[in-house]
Amino acid sequence: MPMKGRFPVRRTLQYLSQGDVVFKSSVKVMTVNYNTAGELSEGARKFVFFNIPQIQYKNPWVQIMLFRNMTPSPFLRFYLDNGEQVLVDVEDKTNREITEHIKKILGKSKEMLEKEERERKKLSHPATFGLKKYHLRECMCEIEGQVPCPAFVPLPKEMRGKYKAAVKNEA
Amino acid sequence: MLPALRRCRPGPVPLPALAAALGPGPFPALCPGWSPRAVPARGRKSRHDPPAKSKVGRVKLPPPVDPEELLVVLERYRQHRLVLNALRAEFRAEVLQKKREERLAAAGSLEEQEEHRRLMAWNDEENARQRARREERLRKQEEEEKRKKLEIAEKQARKMEAFVEEKEKEVLQLQEEAKNFITLENLEARIEECLDNPRNYNFAIDKDGRIVKRTVLS
Repeated sequence: MPMKGRFPVRRTLQYLSQGDVVFKSSVKVMTVNYNTAGELSEGARKFVFFNIPQIQYKNPWVQIMLFRNMTPSPFLRFYLDNGEQVLVDVEDKTNREITEHIKKILGKSKEMLEKEERERKKLSHPATFGLKKYHLRECMCEIEGQVPCPAFVPLPKEMRGKYKAAVKNEA
Repeated sequence: MLPALRRCRPGPVPLPALAAALGPGPFPALCPGWSPRAVPARGRKSRHDPPAKSKVGRVKLPPPVDPEELLVVLERYRQHRLVLNALRAEFRAEVLQKKREERLAAAGSLEEQEEHRRLMAWNDEENARQRARREERLRKQEEEEKRKKLEIAEKQARKMEAFVEEKEKEVLQLQEEAKNFITLENLEARIEECLDNPRNYNFAIDKDGRIVKRTVLS
């Protein structure tokens, strides 16, 4: 698989899942106005290049729009579902600072994320087995401590139907 | 089975009145009888194929129905369905209620709103700080530019002055030299002067420029 782009690491799942900004459910649209040239927009450019893929991966239902060279100074604008607009000035800030800032004002806190994780875990029981879509394991033979799959380890002959039938026929 | 039984219920007969002629079966008084026009289920043959000769005169009758049993069964089914639908409605309402409560709790709880307002205030402060920094930076830039402009203007002025001075000096020098110029009036006098004072250029100089020896003018 050829590597595409200048920093192909941005396309890896590991990199994307390392993003830690999960927006609150009230955030619907994020708009970034920045300039392609200029020392002051450097942080914003880096933010757009490196951090926005992570954010979009973690928030697939948030619309992100980028506007280039429309205003003299860079800024972010968030549109919430109650009509409120939040303006964040990012001139002369590094991309790390920008992510910290938006995580603080509009990101879900760690406790909230953990709570949601626990809720999701409660819905499914890890000990059940069935379809891969709903359970961890498909067959009982995959569970540790149970009889292994006869496809890999043949059953002892006392458990096999043909032996039992043969014994019954003899008797 | 049950919808078919409805036809066998005592009451007005919706089917064509061929009941008496056919002699329907076990309950001639009650069951209206089955019309021989009922088409058998399809199988290998299509709807345009005629029925087989062995089926000529075949009269299919519905299964016999006991009216009391029918009534009892119908009543039981009615009650069962009533109960089931009631339960379903009950559960549906409960689930909706829960969802509504959850949504309200998530969106509108007081402390969350408070938190949100606090964070927005912090954001505004941060923006204000950023604005202050930006204004500071712009002011510095403007000052810097002004200073540079002044410097340039000064340099220009100085250059102009130096230039003017140079030109003045040249003019003065020229004026000085003009005194020694040969004009038409003193042409004769100057020639006489030169001829009277011969100058001897026959000398050698060393590397330092001092005259080393002179030869006699011949």
